[in-house]
Amino acid sequence: MTSEEIVEKLKSDMDGKILEATVTLGDAVVHVSPDALHEVAVFIKDDPDLKFDYLSYISGVDYLDQDREPRFEAVYEFHSIDHNHSIRLRVGLEEDDPTVPTVSDLWLGALFPERELFDMFGFNITGHPDLRRLIMPEAWEGHPLLRDYPLTTEDVTFSHNRDYKSDLVKSKPPTR
Amino acid sequence: MGLIDQVADKIEEEIGNIKLNAKEAAEAFEAQYSGAIYDSILTTKLGKVVGWAQKNALWPATFGLACCAIEMMAMANSRWDAARFGAEVFRASPRQADLMIVSGRVSQKMAPVLKIIYDQMAEPKWVISMGACASCGGIFNNYAIVQGVDRVVPVDVYVPGCPPGPEALLYGIIKLQEKIMNEAGTSGAKKRAA
Amino acid sequence: MSVTEQGLLERDKDTMTLNMGPSHPSTHGVFRIIMEMDGEIVKSTDPEIGYLHTGIEKTSENKRYVHVIPMTDRLDYLSPPSNNLAFCLTAEKLLQCEIPPRGNYLRVIMCELARLGSHLVWLATHALDIGAMTIFLYCWREREMILDLNEEISGVRMMTSYLRIGGVAFDSTPEWLANVRKFVDYFPSKIDEYERLLTHNPIWLDRTQGVGVMSREDAINWSLSGPALRASGVDMDFRKIRPYSGYENFKFDVPVGKNGDVYDRYLMRVEEMRQSREIIDQALNSLPDGPYKTQDNKISLPDRDTLHTSMEALIHHFKLVSEGVNVPAGETYVPIEGPRGEVGFYIVSDGSGIPYRAKMRAPSFMAIPGMCKMMEGCFIADVVAVIGSIDIVMGEVDR
Repeated sequence: MTSEEIVEKLKSDMDGKILEATVTLGDAVVHVSPDALHEVAVFIKDDPDLKFDYLSYISGVDYLDQDREPRFEAVYEFHSIDHNHSIRLRVGLEEDDPTVPTVSDLWLGALFPERELFDMFGFNITGHPDLRRLIMPEAWEGHPLLRDYPLTTEDVTFSHNRDYKSDLVKSKPPTR
Repeated sequence: MGLIDQVADKIEEEIGNIKLNAKEAAEAFEAQYSGAIYDSILTTKLGKVVGWAQKNALWPATFGLACCAIEMMAMANSRWDAARFGAEVFRASPRQADLMIVSGRVSQKMAPVLKIIYDQMAEPKWVISMGACASCGGIFNNYAIVQGVDRVVPVDVYVPGCPPGPEALLYGIIKLQEKIMNEAGTSGAKKRAA
Repeated sequence: MSVTEQGLLERDKDTMTLNMGPSHPSTHGVFRIIMEMDGEIVKSTDPEIGYLHTGIEKTSENKRYVHVIPMTDRLDYLSPPSNNLAFCLTAEKLLQCEIPPRGNYLRVIMCELARLGSHLVWLATHALDIGAMTIFLYCWREREMILDLNEEISGVRMMTSYLRIGGVAFDSTPEWLANVRKFVDYFPSKIDEYERLLTHNPIWLDRTQGVGVMSREDAINWSLSGPALRASGVDMDFRKIRPYSGYENFKFDVPVGKNGDVYDRYLMRVEEMRQSREIIDQALNSLPDGPYKTQDNKISLPDRDTLHTSMEALIHHFKLVSEGVNVPAGETYVPIEGPRGEVGFYIVSDGSGIPYRAKMRAPSFMAIPGMCKMMEGCFIADVVAVIGSIDIVMGEVDR
């Protein structure tokens, strides 16, 4: 199925559950709310025309610098082995309580990426069998990939262009 | 006038005697209480022989962390044979190794492990910091990488590069061998053997 | 172990905990597995990663696109051009930029050479762990030839950073092409040599057949990819199903296995080495002339001789070198087939010259839970064989 057909099918069959479904740059992108994620996931896995049986990755994004609501997003991408198409689910999460249900009961390959979401962003994955830090040490405080977490706490020891470098690290150019 | 000169000479002689006595007394004291074999000319030569033996049989411990480990493996292979410089086998157990080549970036989680492995090595031991990441943090100046492995273990030779070619690492090992030879028989080597 | 009231030690579980620690000669990097053993058999595993975490994803949120390319080299450090290609393809999809055919063919040659280099390291270390030490020396002999080719075209042995957004960094020279041709003619006899040593070797067969079996459904569900997935019977290779960078012009086979054990994965990768050599051969024979990077000077640097005469070229050069390419806002993902499986970058761009979020989809990271599932029920000696067969690289696992 092409990306347009996938988007049409989801808009027709999962009408109340998805927030938005578009085709951007040839990819089928579906915006879902966290409560509806599991239902949509079951649908896209079991439906014989869609049959998304392969989880590609789960990523988190922090949109703090772009000042949009909701602040966080969890992005899931699935492939279908038999039909050779892909879909991307984008789940917007609120800043004060970023919670998303697990999909590891459907795709076992989601175990590690969801632990990484918890570790790097602080998302709360409900229903995950083993939610603990994956990449950072266990006693680490903070979630490194948040936009307000500093990149480094120490300056370069010796540099010919110290000011330029520290500016580049500390401040971002305006995004708008 | 002659009397004063004589007295001055006598005083100088006495001071000289006291100095000599003090030196002998100090030496006798040291010889009595140190018991180390590095204390005479004969044993300095022995120290040089020991240093020659150590430098020609430096067995590295496998401590390949990241990309530099691949170039370390390339150094151990047939093109840049490290075995001809004495680094014959890479020992997996740190207790059997005397050289630790920290090859790769050391993350915050790995630093305690690095220290434990270093502590498990038996004296005398040397450390080569291979690559830019191990020497100074490399291109990664961030929260996750220890900015230089010399914050964790004492380093003898730094080999720059990203990754340093096997010939650069071999040059680092040769420099380390020169360092061992220069230190052999002196108090520097004595500190390592303690 | 717990202590009873009388001060006696008491066993509270039947299994022994064995730690295959981060510093281990056979873990292919800093990887820790805590195994519960029942005698020699592994009952359950608990992998621990993060010992090589470098913070590359966060660092790339502070660097321009061209500065991120050398950092992507250090992710999967056994085949740097594949990571470069994944990153560049995604940025080019956001830019809607066309790559000229010569650029595509040069990219394919470099990526396939890197695939050969990566598979040679895999074979060397996998065989070394199982006990065959000769292959280690033989494989590195060929890899040195590939690294010499890398050095000739880009100046660096391993981390070439040869690809750029819009094409490749430098053009190839006729001498380099002649050297690649020499390598391509020399290589098949070497693969035969490796196969003579291993493929029908009874010790190898004993150590690898029937070990670490993963069924087709499990392999898909655990998100394995690359040769490990194909060995379990899934015909999925992104070079065939979603061709990128000109791969549709080449004729090559994709091996698919039956049993999904360590032996099948070995056969997959050896056959892939042969097919990669075929691809490089065809690319050399049909290398088109023309520009090697896109002529759109807002994306790639203008040719140096035009800087003397053209004012626009000078301004574009200045802007590209000082500010970098500005990628339009949006988000996308392009999967490619790296030596370990599906590699891709999910890039979110905010319209500036600095990626807002660049997440790497690392095949080894997704393969680790499946790999640990494979180990359950195996002997302790098979654990080493399984780790070697999945070919994990900790640089991309921990990023």
